[in-house]
Amino acid sequence: MLEIKNLHAKIGDREILKGLDLTVRPGEVHAIMGPNGAGKSTLSYILAGKDDYEVTEGEVLLNGESILDLEPNERSVAGLFLAFQYPIEIPGVATMTFLKAALNAHRKARGEAELTTPEFMKRVKTVAEKLNISSEMLKRPVNVGFSGGEKKRAEIMQMALLQPSICILDETDSGLDIDALKVVAEGVNALRSPDRAFVVITHYQRLLDHIVPDIVHVLSDGRIVRTGGPELALDLEKNGYAAYVADAAA
Amino acid sequence: MAATPARTPAEQALAARYPAERTSLPGTADVIAIRDAAFGGIEKTGLPHRRVEDWKYTDLRARLKTFPPAAGPADVARVLIARPAMEGDKARRLVVANGRYRPELSDLENLEDGLAVFSLAKALEAGDAAVLAALKLDEATAANTAVALNTAFMTDGLVITVADGAVVERPVEIVHIAEGEPAASTAVRHLVTVGRGAKLTLIETVESLDTVAHHSNIMTVIEAGEEADVDHIRLQLEPDEAVSMTTLVARIGRQATFDTFNAALGAGLARAQVFAEFVGRDAEAGFRGITMLSGRRHADTTLSLIHGAENCRSRELYKAVIDDEARSAFAGRIAVPAFAQKTDARMMTASLLLSEEAEAYAKPELEIFADDVQCGHGATCGAINEDLLFYLLSRGIAKAEAESMLILAFLGEAIDEIQDQAVHDALIHRVEAWLKTRASARKAGEPAA
Ligand SMILES: Nc1ncnc2c1ncn2[C@@H]1O[C@H](COP(=O)(O)OP(=O)(O)OP(=O)(O)O)[C@@H](O)[C@H]1O
Ligand SMILES: [Mg+2]
Repeated sequence: MLEIKNLHAKIGDREILKGLDLTVRPGEVHAIMGPNGAGKSTLSYILAGKDDYEVTEGEVLLNGESILDLEPNERSVAGLFLAFQYPIEIPGVATMTFLKAALNAHRKARGEAELTTPEFMKRVKTVAEKLNISSEMLKRPVNVGFSGGEKKRAEIMQMALLQPSICILDETDSGLDIDALKVVAEGVNALRSPDRAFVVITHYQRLLDHIVPDIVHVLSDGRIVRTGGPELALDLEKNGYAAYVADAAA
Repeated sequence: MAATPARTPAEQALAARYPAERTSLPGTADVIAIRDAAFGGIEKTGLPHRRVEDWKYTDLRARLKTFPPAAGPADVARVLIARPAMEGDKARRLVVANGRYRPELSDLENLEDGLAVFSLAKALEAGDAAVLAALKLDEATAANTAVALNTAFMTDGLVITVADGAVVERPVEIVHIAEGEPAASTAVRHLVTVGRGAKLTLIETVESLDTVAHHSNIMTVIEAGEEADVDHIRLQLEPDEAVSMTTLVARIGRQATFDTFNAALGAGLARAQVFAEFVGRDAEAGFRGITMLSGRRHADTTLSLIHGAENCRSRELYKAVIDDEARSAFAGRIAVPAFAQKTDARMMTASLLLSEEAEAYAKPELEIFADDVQCGHGATCGAINEDLLFYLLSRGIAKAEAESMLILAFLGEAIDEIQDQAVHDALIHRVEAWLKTRASARKAGEPAA
């Protein structure tokens, strides 16, 4: 489903990804852990198509097709979704207008007609309720005045609405209280299906208690330096990254 | 030694027109004297150029290629079938076609108690003392070139009065239509008096049915009495070929509430001027507007506000969206005399540049002589925020549409201050239509029209 091969990327003169390989198959949940500054968010931005980064080598295939030349919106309608580590506030753009534009862009790409307003409202309500997002929040401009945790829940709501095939969650757990963490994890688990895959970037085991990964990777200094099963996350929780940082430097 | 510059073709046209027209323009000898004085000023100085501070960004001498002849009577049939500028029938529509008030095309049925509507031309012909008095302006305003041209050439306009205490709920809309070819000039003056505790919503739309270089000069003088509530909105929608000059003069009385909004959506060369003054204490006013420019259009907003009474509050917010090689200028000046304590004024202007070649100029000025005041101003200028754009794109929204959403959000801050819901929505429709045109032009890979 998602194949990343020998990906090198830099911002300005600084190389941040240094030959990253990752293969995600349908139905799988991958966790990526790694020290601050390792390049996790950089990877997620490059996948989503942010143009601050220059890919110097390697390729990224989504369902066998290269996506590196696609615009961010084309990647989105091709099924890729990034839940941002820091969702941005967009004053003046109503949440509902935004959601409708996004959903209709996806429908248009699939050759489907635009949703009627009542049908659209029904869908938003359904996903919002599951994530404890009030109708008052939906009346505000996109993310404006949302707390850190509310922003993360809103990201998952968008994901649930757009039904992507590959979901990248960048530290969706940070900023969530214990109850919200459960709500979000349930939201994610409800979307798990044999033809949808997840890449969950996190620093903490506690998220992985709720969203149980199939495969855990350690990303350090721009590369995947270790891959294992769920037990790897437990090991990291206990012993930290010291061993891998040394590996990466070697 | 600076030689007197040679007259430009526009100046030559003016010099030929005035003597030929002065006695056939409406008005008694007193009115002719007022016209003569105004035209004399223009004759002396010529059209202003960029070294004249008030016209620094809009060099009329260089930009006005011609000064077309006075417009003849409009073809009524064409005016009738023209799509009304404002959708819906909520407003009481008064039609001014080719510079002449057309009562037979206007909605004068069931005029509200206290609301009166007359022709300025008739009042000038009759030498109406109150109307003549209302033509008097302070020296600086009278000498302004757009104002002086208006005074010299005005053919007609509306005299609207709202009696003390009369609450006119239904908005009054003055529809200005220019019709016919070749290009012609119009000069229209409206005198609006809103009495003590009275209420009026006045909408002005300015349109042309033909894509020729019509030249319109519209001046509206509003006297907002004590405790009056006045809402003024102008939609300037002329085609790219047109030259548009509008002037609002407002005197705001004690405890009055006054709002004005200018949507500069058309004309290749547009100048919108506001000369306002608080003449009584404890009043509140809002001065706002949006400008949307593409191609090689040029729009100038010039605001001069005298906070001439104690404890008055004003908000100024002007936003411009500038595409292609267009240019926008804003000059705002707020003066607070020493006695105007407790003045509260905040002036903000922001420009969104949509292309590398687009240009924005801003000159906010505060002249404060009182010490117990709260005054501030700010000016920003920038391109669409890349991070906001990326967020929208990352959700599948195509670039042109995402940009439209952000442009609308930018303008919304000003537009959302419009109190009249129907006018607000009609303006949003206009803006969306502009954005749609731009978006489809961009999708087609051409520069926006
Ligand atoms: N715009 C930028 N300019 C320069 N350096 C950058 C820029 N963006 C990111 N970096 C650098 O790239 C490196 C990787 O950053 P990234 O945000 O991908 O780390 P991360 O693994 O997500 O860290 P965290 O766990 O703290 O979220 C960091 O050293 C960061 O400082
Ligand atoms: Mg990060």
